[in-house]
Amino acid sequence: MKSLLAALALTTALTLPGIAMARPVTLTTTLNNYGGDGAYLALYVTDASGAYMGSLWMAGTKSKYYEHLTDWYRATGGDTAQVNGITGASVGAGRTLEITLDLADALFDAGYTLHVDAAVEDMRDSPNEVAVPLTTAGVGTAVAGRRYVASFAYDM
Amino acid sequence: MKKTLTILAASTALTAVIGTTAWSAMQGPTDGSARQSAAIFEDAAQALPLILASNDDDEDDRGFRESSRRGHDNDDDDDDRDDDDDDDCRGGAPNPPPAGTVAPPQNGLFGSGAPPQVQVN
Repeated sequence: MKSLLAALALTTALTLPGIAMARPVTLTTTLNNYGGDGAYLALYVTDASGAYMGSLWMAGTKSKYYEHLTDWYRATGGDTAQVNGITGASVGAGRTLEITLDLADALFDAGYTLHVDAAVEDMRDSPNEVAVPLTTAGVGTAVAGRRYVASFAYDM
Repeated sequence: MKKTLTILAASTALTAVIGTTAWSAMQGPTDGSARQSAAIFEDAAQALPLILASNDDDEDDRGFRESSRRGHDNDDDDDDRDDDDDDDCRGGAPNPPPAGTVAPPQNGLFGSGAPPQVQVN
């Protein structure tokens, strides 16, 4: 009986921090009026060494175009399983994409960087369109992208 | 009169030539070495590539689409890249299931399996 209680206490102690250590984070991406079709966007995270950790969102549903999200594609090998369940429609010029995700707290202030790759049909691919370090100090700070993204910010 | 006879003779000869050719094509070979004309025509058709008189149907939108054709079927996708459900990419990676249909991947970035909330303004 004692061992059962101890096991329960241990699992609870291990589980609760995991639940508590996540929070909803809203990623807001506003595109320029670049005058083209809807943009494909890949949002993903790398660690302090630049190694790919995982994807947060894929805007664009057709995998055959993912190779134009150059850095994401190189990091993942085009593995669509990386974006299973976190994929939505491409984003039109001048539109704003708001994604709210339940993200692990451990992502912040730990050297991780959030990247956005962008691609638009008949226009130049834009890998690493946005790269922002994930820090609590950076919450709410909008940054501009290189080509298609007018601004990107994350809020908690 | 001579002229009429000449025309008649010529048309008869022409008909005979065409008829003979057609008849021989329909008949089976009398021996193993002969091949039917129809079979020869079929072989020729298979050997010759289809050459388009015009290459106007080439997509000249290089860049986004050009390299995307590898392993695909060159279907006439519309250019808006919205969801038109042409999931006929033989040999290519399958399209990922959209948000809300399956749980996000277990990549350590997500705190729970809650589906993302998305809004486009």
